[in-house]
Amino acid sequence: MDTTSSLHLAQMAFPDAVPAITLAHYLFVSAAMFTMGLVGFLTRRNMIIMFLCTELMFQGAGLALIAFGRHHLGADGQTFVIFVLCVAAAEAAMALALVVLLFRHKETLSAQAWKELNG
Amino acid sequence: MDTIISPIALYLICVLGAVGIAAALPRRNNAASIAGGLVLASAIGLAVLILGLGATKSGQPLPNYFFYPFAILALGASARMITHPRPVYSALYFILTIIASCGMYLLLSAEFMAFALVIIYAGAILITYLFVIMLATQAPSSAAEAFIDETDAVAREPVLASIIGFVLLAILTTAMFRGVSTLPAPTNQELAQDSVLLNLPTKVDRILDRAGILTESERVVRNADGTAALDIAARTITIENTDLNTIRVLGPDQWPDTLNAGNLDRLGYNLMHDHPMTIEIAGIILLMAMLGATVLARKHIELEDDLKAAQARKLGESMDQSMEAGNA
Amino acid sequence: MINTTLLSNLLAFAPDTHAATTHATDHAIAATEVGTGPKWILLIVGLPLLSSILSLVYAMIGNKTKLPAWTTVAAAGTAFLCTIAMYLNFDGTPYTVHAFDWIQVHFGEKSMIANFSFYIDTLTIYWMLFVTGLATCIALYASEYMSHDIGTSYCRFFGAFGLFVFSMACLVMGDNFLMLYLGWEGVGLCSYLLIGYFYKKPEAVAAAKKAFIVNRIGDLGLALGIYLIFVHFGTLEYAVLFSDPKLLGYVDSAMTGNFAAIPAIAQWIPLLLMIGAFGKSAQFPLYVWLPDAMEGPTPVSALIHAATMVTAGVYLIARTYPLFLASESALPIVAWIGTITALLAATIGMAQFDIKRIMAYSTVSQLGYMFAGLGVLTPTGGAYHVLTHAFFKALLFLCCGAVMHGFAGQLDLRKLSGLRKVKGWGIVSLGMFVGCINLAGVPFTAGYFSKDTIIAETFVTPGYSMIGWILLFTAGLTAYYTFRVFFRVFMGPVEYHPGEEHHDDDHGHDDHAEDHGHAGDFHPHAPGWAINTVLMILTVCSIAATGLYFVGGDKDAHTKHYAQTMVMSSTAAFESPYSEHAIHAAHEAHTPNAGAGPRGTIDHALEVPVFGGDPHKMMYYISAGFGIVGIALAWFLHLFGRTNAAECKMDPIARMFGPIPKWAENKWYVDEIYWAILVTPLRVASHIFHWIDKLLVDGIVNLFGILPRVFAWVIRPSQSGVLQGYAVSMAGGIAILLLAVFVIILQGGAS
Repeated sequence: MDTTSSLHLAQMAFPDAVPAITLAHYLFVSAAMFTMGLVGFLTRRNMIIMFLCTELMFQGAGLALIAFGRHHLGADGQTFVIFVLCVAAAEAAMALALVVLLFRHKETLSAQAWKELNG
Repeated sequence: MDTIISPIALYLICVLGAVGIAAALPRRNNAASIAGGLVLASAIGLAVLILGLGATKSGQPLPNYFFYPFAILALGASARMITHPRPVYSALYFILTIIASCGMYLLLSAEFMAFALVIIYAGAILITYLFVIMLATQAPSSAAEAFIDETDAVAREPVLASIIGFVLLAILTTAMFRGVSTLPAPTNQELAQDSVLLNLPTKVDRILDRAGILTESERVVRNADGTAALDIAARTITIENTDLNTIRVLGPDQWPDTLNAGNLDRLGYNLMHDHPMTIEIAGIILLMAMLGATVLARKHIELEDDLKAAQARKLGESMDQSMEAGNA
Repeated sequence: MINTTLLSNLLAFAPDTHAATTHATDHAIAATEVGTGPKWILLIVGLPLLSSILSLVYAMIGNKTKLPAWTTVAAAGTAFLCTIAMYLNFDGTPYTVHAFDWIQVHFGEKSMIANFSFYIDTLTIYWMLFVTGLATCIALYASEYMSHDIGTSYCRFFGAFGLFVFSMACLVMGDNFLMLYLGWEGVGLCSYLLIGYFYKKPEAVAAAKKAFIVNRIGDLGLALGIYLIFVHFGTLEYAVLFSDPKLLGYVDSAMTGNFAAIPAIAQWIPLLLMIGAFGKSAQFPLYVWLPDAMEGPTPVSALIHAATMVTAGVYLIARTYPLFLASESALPIVAWIGTITALLAATIGMAQFDIKRIMAYSTVSQLGYMFAGLGVLTPTGGAYHVLTHAFFKALLFLCCGAVMHGFAGQLDLRKLSGLRKVKGWGIVSLGMFVGCINLAGVPFTAGYFSKDTIIAETFVTPGYSMIGWILLFTAGLTAYYTFRVFFRVFMGPVEYHPGEEHHDDDHGHDDHAEDHGHAGDFHPHAPGWAINTVLMILTVCSIAATGLYFVGGDKDAHTKHYAQTMVMSSTAAFESPYSEHAIHAAHEAHTPNAGAGPRGTIDHALEVPVFGGDPHKMMYYISAGFGIVGIALAWFLHLFGRTNAAECKMDPIARMFGPIPKWAENKWYVDEIYWAILVTPLRVASHIFHWIDKLLVDGIVNLFGILPRVFAWVIRPSQSGVLQGYAVSMAGGIAILLLAVFVIILQGGAS
């Protein structure tokens, strides 16, 4: 079975139903994921969870990109997700290194512990 | 106005979601967390229901059921992720969210990205997160097993954040449900994917050769701009014999089943052909992140003066030895 | 040569006399060829500067000897010898000596060239002769006079002294107006430094400041004048300016009374230069600093504030005489200001009791004579009076200084009497006597001749006879107050009181028998050899200056005496058509003069006798009469029958005049008037502006300073340092922005 068959696999049982799912369905889910990431980022005090929430926002954006790519029958959406993934990986590496560093200094993960950096 | 879902219902969902999240976010002695979870669940359920009903308007009843479990899973897991007081659970719920998203990627014919996501996100990034969580959190002692750090246990201004977040959501959804068309049919998607074959004549040659269609000296005709002489829509292939200088055209009935482009072909071609510079930049970003993380996480060791002196002596001796060795 | 050019221009209106009055009828306007002089002339300028620097070096190495004095004497003496050599080598053609390029700015077709070079003509030599000569004498005098202060102060004194001679040399010898200005400011600075020499004395500091500030007013005028010269004539160099056809054309126009042909800007130049001259030469209304300048050491008063620096104004006007001729109002103003100053200062001098101050006011008064002389078209008279005055006034000051030195700072003429008879004071008394007869204008003294030259000229120049009468009256007053000093201090019964600088331990008891004073243990110490030598030299010079009236005449140039010869071959060359020799020349030519004169019509003025005879001859008798009456009055009121130092016959007579003598003693309250009408309003205004500045200007500035702070105070809480706080603001902002955008889009869609 080659790669294109996976599409058929997913849609085999309901060949005619696919058009009924609109772009807006996916966009709603992506927007909801982004919003929850945002709310989590705003409310949680743990720096690790805050970074996780930014990953969640990335995820929402990635879903929207893929959906739009499908809508336009292009590959650019997926390409952009690859780059989003790159940035997310880089950000995770840096952010986690920072978290480790900060934790070493204050023995806590609370973002409020670094209040004095207010300039 | 061509709206798929009534804005009133959407706003109701947003309000319910906001109330649910606000109630469910961790607090000390949070009695409302269960109720909040219920409200949140109902909001997600309502949203999925209304989405399904909205899809019904387009004519087909309850189509493509796979979308709904993935949506519920993704939203529920992400809601739980931001409301769970323990970071480890949050990370695990995030993995669940990613897997649900991968399902939706599959539905959107992005197979490669779906699996890449699982491998990179769930497999690599989230594992790193888990490591850091373990590194940076004191292991709970048996006496205080239920103890949760203040940082994790109490959310910060949950109401304000929920209001802001869901106002944004309401605005976004209001915009996206206005006059948005359905996705194109899979046939069009396949045709679009196959169009990349025009740019890959060598690949076409190889597939036709494997299918046993081409003889020794035959190949697909190249157009002036280097593309293969295929007609994707009409399913015809023009083949030339380089020795005899003859040309023959294969009709749709002779189009081999294996001659189609997959998601990977398309993505790879797009990546390499349209965004080469971006790849370079991404590479540099990753390299810098690697170096930066190394520098940041390095532990600074303050040596005492005598230790430093000892270290310097040792270095000097080794240098002397190497020089002697060199001289010898 | 310029003098002939001007003369021929001047006499162009009387062509018949032309051939007779000028030896060169060539009307060439061609610029005088200015040659280049020998470089050793730079020594005249360089040596004083070197001595000044050396004095500073001595101060730094803590010298405690009289070395600075000898250095300065040697430098000034060598400069004097160089000046004499320069005089003897001078062949009548002006030349320049180039030291180095100083300022050379070229813009467009104009260029401003002011080199550090020196312009040597007879006027320069004339001035430099007595400047360097007197500087040498007075440096020698000061070596003894300042011996109380040996050490750093001694070095400081001679450092400033050397700098003064250098600056004065730059002023007099500079070949352009910028050099003149350099010297002008330099002498002002040295004057300030030396007046304030006793800087621990508040009066000295105040006097120094006063001199400096009053001089600034004049210097502003000078600076503006120089600026206008550059703007109008495009040059600052004498050699170029005084051969500029434009300027010569103006003088031609002025000679025929056609002042309308001269642009206003050219007529403004002398008025501005004049203000500078008034400031430096202490003329009304800027004279107030000079009497106060007597707070400085006496040698300074003698050199700077009597003999040399204060004549810089006269030099300036003499040097730029063609510019003054080209203005309708400048010379009359100079004449009247000089006259008013002469009279005013003489009246004040009559009522003073401080002998040094009397000399100061007499200096102001005599400077007034010089300006009057310049104003009535006799630069010769002015210059001659400068020379004679330099000698006899330096002599008088040095005598006063010797008295002050010997009597512990005592200068009050009511507390000194009969010094002639005190042992060791003979030379001082003789010097004082010679100085007094010169100043009083006793017949056949130098002062007599120089003063008469000026006064006679006022009577022959139409429209100035009023000035002549005032000056004659002033001459009488001068004779009176001069001999008032002499009769009271040096004649009469012997009596003296020490000044406030006296300390019991200063002088040991010795065998001085003539202790008639009331300060039982006080013994004056007589001047030493240095002071006596200098006084002798100056006495001889003062007498010898008389001879200059009879020698040095040049038959070819129709000049009668030395000063005239010197002045007539310089840029100041100008002789009034009414002057004596011009009249004689006219007589010789047997030609009646007719035509328009420079300041009106002559008609037959030349033939009209004043006082029933030739004015120049008559003046000898009239002026002598005024002088002798003054001396006689002084003798009767201040010597005849006087038995002690404090009282004389004048006192009851003074009481008869009511408050007038008191007013005169208080200098007619000029200082107080200046204070009231100038200083007080300025102070009030400065206070007002201070508060305006503080409240209004500072207020506005502070308001703008406070606004950002208030704004920052308002928004500071948002910078909490909590990351999520910023994130909330950002997300909230995005939400509000999107909301606004959607509301706008929805409304747009509805319409």
